[in-house]
This record gives sequence, C-alpha cells and structure tokens, in this order.
Amino acid sequence: MGIMRMGYAHVRVTDLAEAKDHYANTMGLYQTLEQDGRVYYKGWDEWDHHSVVLEEGGVGVVKFGFKVEYESDLDVIEKKAQQFGLTVERMSAGENPEVSDGIRFITPSEHVLEVYHGQTVIGTEVGTHNPDAFPRHLVGIGVPALDHALIFAEDVRLMENMFREVFDYFPTERVQTDLDDDDAHFIASWMTSNNQIHQIAILEGEQSKLHHFAFKLQDWNEVGRAADIMTMDDVPIDIGPTRHGITRGQTVYFFDPSGNRNEVFAGGYPAYRDRPINKWTPDQIAKGIFYHARELNERFTTVYT
Amino acid sequence: MAIVTVDPSGEEIYLPADQTVLGGLYAAGYAYTIGCRRGGCGVCKVDLLEGGVTYDHPVADDVLSREERQEGVCLTCRAVPDGDITVRFRSGSLRLVQPLLRSLNEKSRLQAAASAPQPKE
Repeated sequence: MGIMRMGYAHVRVTDLAEAKDHYANTMGLYQTLEQDGRVYYKGWDEWDHHSVVLEEGGVGVVKFGFKVEYESDLDVIEKKAQQFGLTVERMSAGENPEVSDGIRFITPSEHVLEVYHGQTVIGTEVGTHNPDAFPRHLVGIGVPALDHALIFAEDVRLMENMFREVFDYFPTERVQTDLDDDDAHFIASWMTSNNQIHQIAILEGEQSKLHHFAFKLQDWNEVGRAADIMTMDDVPIDIGPTRHGITRGQTVYFFDPSGNRNEVFAGGYPAYRDRPINKWTPDQIAKGIFYHARELNERFTTVYT
Repeated sequence: MAIVTVDPSGEEIYLPADQTVLGGLYAAGYAYTIGCRRGGCGVCKVDLLEGGVTYDHPVADDVLSREERQEGVCLTCRAVPDGDITVRFRSGSLRLVQPLLRSLNEKSRLQAAASAPQPKE
C-alpha cells in the first residue's frame, strides 16, 4: 500500500523553552518525550508516539518522516529510490526514539527524508473505546494532527518525478508556465498518496529550505479561533485567515518563536488518482495562493527558514 | 533608552529600554521590509553605521553569520541597542505609515532629552 502520510517533521529552534511554550500551549500539542535536547510531540487525534520533533540550535527543517503501511513497503521504496539514482541508507529501530527501522535518503532538493513502518502506539486522547468527539480540556488551538509541509527546490519537476516514482505520489495541483506539461516549466506542485489533498508541496526556490509545515483543523470556525489564540499569545501572523485557491483549503500562516513558518489548514477537497490535475498559470498564482487578497505578499517567496 | 538615527535622512526615533530596533520603529509608526519577526528569516537586516546592539535571543549562524556581525549587519527584530545607534536601510527606504505614532514618539524623544543629565561645561 506504500506511503500513508507524512508522519513527522523534525525542526530546529533557536530557543527550546520558547518553542516548547508555543508548540505545547499555543498549538496544544502533547509532549510525549524529552531526551538528548530534543522534544517530541503528538496532536490529540494522533495515535503514534510523535509527529513533531524540536531540536535546539539554528532554524529550519532537519528531516521529515513518512510512514508506510507494511514493513515490506520499505524494500520496494528502497529499490525505487535507488533506481531513481538516490543513495539510500538503512536506519535501525531506535535511531529515532520510538520509531521502527526504515530507510533514509537525501532528495535532489537536499532535504532528508526517512521512511518507517512503525512507531510506538500511544493512542489518541479520546481512545478507541466508545470515544468522545474531542478531548474536553484542549490547550490553546488544540490541533488534532500534523498535516503537510511545503518545501523549496531548485527543480520542481525533478522533485515531482521523484515523489511519483519513489513514493507513488500523484500531483493534485500545479503552477506551470504552460498548460501543456511537456512545454511547461513547473513552478510548484502539490502531491499526495491518498484522498488527503496534499501531503507535500514543492515550490521553486532555495535548496534544503522549509516554507512551512502545517497542522490540520476542521473548518473556518476553527481557523478563525486559531487566529484569535495567536493574537492572545502574540504569535506573528503572516497572513490570514484566508483561503488558498489551490487545494481550496482555509488557512492561517504564522511563525513559531524561531521564525519557522507554521500553518493551520482546514478543508481541501478529496484527492483521487484519476481526477484531472488543477493547473494554475503564473499570472494567476496570487489567486491560487491567497484566494481573497489575490495579491502575493512580499513574504511568500522571500521569508523562509 | 536609545535614539535610532536613520542614515541618510537623519530622522531620530526614540526607543524605550530593552526594545528591539524593529519593535521600536514600528511602535513609532514606521514600516520597512520585514519577515517572520522572530529571527528566522533575516529579511529585516539593516546596516549598523554607529553604535552597538545586543541580541535578546540566540540568533542562528545561517541567519546572521559571524562575518555579517563583524561587518555591522544588524538583525533588527532581535537587536536591542546598547546606546544610541545609526542605521542605514537596505532594500527600500524606511517609510512613515502612521504619523500619529510618530508625533507621540517625538514627544518621548524630547522628554528623554530634557531629563538626560546635562554634560558639564
């Protein structure tokens, strides 16, 4: 069955105490472990041990983890990655606390990706036995789960090919200079393995950099409430609440205390492999990114970690 | 407190103690090109011509390199002036977008100047 989802984002922060306050008290994540200068978190509706890892020192992304359904999927993906020309190494269980063995490789965009088949199961905060709809005492925004990330790459088409061939992802939307794929230059691509509208997006830009990583929310009401909490906690809001034309998701972009961009993201229509790709031309990219303002702020492509 | 002088216009802006350069300029009604406001992106850098600053948070080396620090590059969202400083803006000039705040700041600056100990003749 292959890749199920982006399982974790491991990021650097300049001040661990401030970062912990943000991710625990503003975002409402649950801390599951603190060890060797790293802090591990999960959202209330996640069952695996962690989906966010913070590490003190610097800014930006260390690596992303992607979870496959079966252990045997690792062999398949390792082989496909090698066929694509990537250098793949095996990682052993416990290299990442509470994470199974797996594989690791560096993408053409110079991001580190890990693929694993298991994490220690903690269970959601509502359990599985006659569960309630949500936990009663959520903190801050109370995000249920990690959703996706947007990364930069010099060569978006190459990255799209990599995710297609190695992860069996398919693109749901794209920004391209020509509607004919063969003639087009790809500026950005949104990709997934299932009905989730995107698990990863790639935008043309500086290698190895992070644009944002996003947490899931349900709807406009939750996105609006999230923005209210950000104001209460003096979190710098980049833009929003607004809608993305691309994916149709409702969003707030904001910054963590180290300047890493976060997003809360709700909605997005269901993705299918046989649904024709939505294609955006560069002259309409502003409407694609920020559907209401229809104007890109100067930060969208210049501010990143 | 500190006075931030903007080169080459000579505008003088009053900053209360412990306020960052970015925070002080925005509180005085000015705007310029900024990014994350939390020290991660490096977009709000200016050139420090005179005076020194102290960073109130750790700043990542790949945001502000050792060479840049030595050359007097100032990451304004995290920099608190040690005393009066003179800065020059890089891309796009500093623009006044809230004259009301600017006039309040001018009063603070004049008050601070009046209460400062006079140099002895």
